[in-house]
Amino acid sequence: MFGRRKIIRLGLYGPPNAGKTTLANKISMDWTGEPVGSVSEIPHETREVQKKERVVIQTRGKKLVMNLLDMPGIATKIDFEEFLAHGLSVDDAQQRAKEATKGVIEAIKWLENVDTALVIMDSAKDPYTQVNITIIGNLEARGIPVVIVANKIDLDDAKPELIQEAFPQHPVVKISGLRGQHLEELYNAIAKYSV
Amino acid sequence: MKIQMEFISSDVLKDMLGGDKIEFILKKIKGNKILVLDGGLSPLEETRLIEETMSKINKSFRGIEISTLRDKVDGGIKNKLIKFLGGQTGGLTVIGPSKLVKKIKKEPQKILLFAEKR
Repeated sequence: MFGRRKIIRLGLYGPPNAGKTTLANKISMDWTGEPVGSVSEIPHETREVQKKERVVIQTRGKKLVMNLLDMPGIATKIDFEEFLAHGLSVDDAQQRAKEATKGVIEAIKWLENVDTALVIMDSAKDPYTQVNITIIGNLEARGIPVVIVANKIDLDDAKPELIQEAFPQHPVVKISGLRGQHLEELYNAIAKYSV
Repeated sequence: MKIQMEFISSDVLKDMLGGDKIEFILKKIKGNKILVLDGGLSPLEETRLIEETMSKINKSFRGIEISTLRDKVDGGIKNKLIKFLGGQTGGLTVIGPSKLVKKIKKEPQKILLFAEKR
């Protein structure tokens, strides 16, 4: 045990379609050359926790070893008709809804098993939602360091400054996971706030 | 078109254990009521409510809309302990079934709830 580098369990949390898996893939591709999971415009594409273990990142001369934990999106409702609107069959939509509910439960259960959390938000959407507030409040109550990721800053209607205004008590890093913009700042923040 | 709202005093919930409180709330929500809880739910209670909601979703119950306004509290150890244990530190929570509550818009000091019964 002695002399081993601590492995940080980094949980990626947020509502569905905030870009969690896109970011997890980008981080993983940057440092391991392998993706974590598949992405889709249909909500709840990630319905089980996806892990990439022993991802070693180096930033400002510091080496961090992380287990990336890409969580299913947390939501308060799952409507299978939403999946029908995306072109899924009735059976597929119902199955996806069933799996999505289990995914939300799994993501919540994992809250007590992460060392640092990235809370991913879509910069083009209102950040002041109860899901975001509940996730952050829960992490705060457990004393888990939070870095808020204002994602999708490449979108024309992105307003990442609203995220900073809504959650002034936490560091906010403005990035585009899709374009790979400002990821160095994110790695620095992960290194700084992971204890 | 009738939509029933129920305002629940903190006295009703204060002696309930965590699981009982969540069951009490969900039973009323599944009965198509919109609840306003005096005292509000803590973040840990909210996540527990979301968990239980997910386990009950089916064709007729598709989830909830929820929003909490919290009183500003100092960050002292006592308040942090109360919050961690799921206790109340003031505020209110509005919850309703998603088939009735179409949208909740939250602002720092107010909640706007849009309900529609089809």
